Amino acid sequence: MTPLIGAARPRRGERLSNTAFALLLTLPGMALFAAIVCYPLIASLVTGFFEQSLVLPGRSFVGLSNYREALQGDFWPVLRQTAVFTLGATAIPFVLGFALALALNSGIRGSGFLRGLFLFPWVIPGVVVSFLWMWIFNANYGVLNGVLTRLGLIEESVGWLGEPGTAMLAVIVTKSWASFPWIMVMMLAALQTVPRELHEAAAVDGSGAIRRFFTVTWPGVRGVAAIAILLEFIWNFQHFDTIYVLTGGGPAGSTETFAVAVYREAFHGFDLGRATALGGLWMVLLLGLVGLYLRMFERETDR
Amino acid sequence: MSAMDTVTPAVRPAKGGPPAPPAPAPVKRRRRADQRRSSVAAWAAVGVIGLFGLLPVYWMLVTALSPDDRAFRFPPDLFPRAVTLEHFRAFAENEALFRYMLNSVVVASITAVLSVVVSAYMGYSFSKFRYRGRTSLMNFVLASQMFPQALLLITLYAVFSEFGLLNTYAALILSFTTFTMPLCVWMLKGIFDTVPDALLEAAAIDGASRWRTLHTIVAPLAAPGMVAAGLFAFVRGWNDFIFALTLADRDTQTLPPGLVNTYIGEFQTSWPALMAASLIVSLPVVIAFTFLQRYLVGGLTAGAVKS
Repeated sequence: MTPLIGAARPRRGERLSNTAFALLLTLPGMALFAAIVCYPLIASLVTGFFEQSLVLPGRSFVGLSNYREALQGDFWPVLRQTAVFTLGATAIPFVLGFALALALNSGIRGSGFLRGLFLFPWVIPGVVVSFLWMWIFNANYGVLNGVLTRLGLIEESVGWLGEPGTAMLAVIVTKSWASFPWIMVMMLAALQTVPRELHEAAAVDGSGAIRRFFTVTWPGVRGVAAIAILLEFIWNFQHFDTIYVLTGGGPAGSTETFAVAVYREAFHGFDLGRATALGGLWMVLLLGLVGLYLRMFERETDR
Repeated sequence: MSAMDTVTPAVRPAKGGPPAPPAPAPVKRRRRADQRRSSVAAWAAVGVIGLFGLLPVYWMLVTALSPDDRAFRFPPDLFPRAVTLEHFRAFAENEALFRYMLNSVVVASITAVLSVVVSAYMGYSFSKFRYRGRTSLMNFVLASQMFPQALLLITLYAVFSEFGLLNTYAALILSFTTFTMPLCVWMLKGIFDTVPDALLEAAAIDGASRWRTLHTIVAPLAAPGMVAAGLFAFVRGWNDFIFALTLADRDTQTLPPGLVNTYIGEFQTSWPALMAASLIVSLPVVIAFTFLQRYLVGGLTAGAVKS
């Protein structure tokens, strides 16, 4: 790409230099980012060093005590739950979405139509996804219990969302249902860049399907797969909607992830110091992931 | 629309793969068997994952069409015995839900327009100018959508409250616009990249100013992309939950938190009514995405569309 194109050079009589003009164009957007993202984020992190309530005025400096409290209490169980949720809700959709992409890319009929059809779980609002699965998992009338009972797999109805043993699994399944179509779209696009001739050549040479997958397909889509997995991981790491509606973090805090815990501490517990200290620790972990993503993105795309 | 289509996937029997190029006879036979096997495997994968993907949608539809007394029995009927549209009618007649719907339409529409305008300027700057700090700005835009929203909401709540904007449309529009911008900027930058530099040079030689070039020459060329970006922004605003839940009250809340208020936490949730409402809320998004399908991949790699 040409650096600094001619057309954008200031003509005689235009007062702004090109750089000034370009920066002026970004100004409205940057103002929004500053007001809605940067300032609130920094101010929130500062709040972590204070004792402050959502509903009462005033605050007092308490140093690191919020952080100490978080590290001695909530942080570790919440980290464990966030990790379980994030890993599960990333691995399952990846396997399902990639398998579906491979199937749709194998030349079966109607693959374009099917691709559109399978987008549904992903495009609908997150709260709708939650409502639907709340109903499916319902302890008294839910269709999952109904089917399992009819098949003779369970004798008594299971309260999927109400028991600590199954709630996390239910939340992961729900989020996976909403995410696999996105992975499918990404991987399908990647698979379509792998030249068909390579497959045919490998087949003529006598490679079986599994061997062809590892020698031809996977090297061709590895880069996109890495980006898709990392992005899904980052989103799950801060996912809020599904968990909040399905379980609200319960039962007994067993599905409480960072997003839900921070939100609950602040907007239900009114304890902003505790919420923001926990959020600060969360942010540090997240920043590492985001840095990784930016590096990977720069390598994969040309700008 | 396709929300309805989703119930009965048109599954056709597998036919053979594409014609094989000439090959020595034994290899040819093996390849044909190979292809048949992989076609069977493909349909098996589509079938199994398809059940997981589409049975819940089927269940949403069946429940929405069931009378209450049919939905609340165990074990449930897997095929509808009686069908009613009463829950859809009840949604249309519910004034509180109408208010949420109106709020959603207003907020998401304004978000779409604002986001496209602001993002177009920024995307143009990133696409057609080279300056120090540009890469850092681009990285920042890309990263901003990944900052933890629950954390920054804590201060945002206080800021909006300070300025008297809490529980107003403005609070929602400003937040939605900001979090839609990364996607829109990236999409629009991609579209501006396809506008040839020679065109801009010609405009400059003809005496057009930089503003004029952007507004009268580049913008019309990018119009289809701007419409697509606007649709994405609309969907984003329509689907958002956490901001609308926190920054708005019953008068200004959009449908997602509105539905939670209306149906969840009651002693006995009316599931058929909630499923009908869910289908209604999903419809505009499904329609939008039938137009947006071909724009999906470009925007996705930028890591943008998502709540």
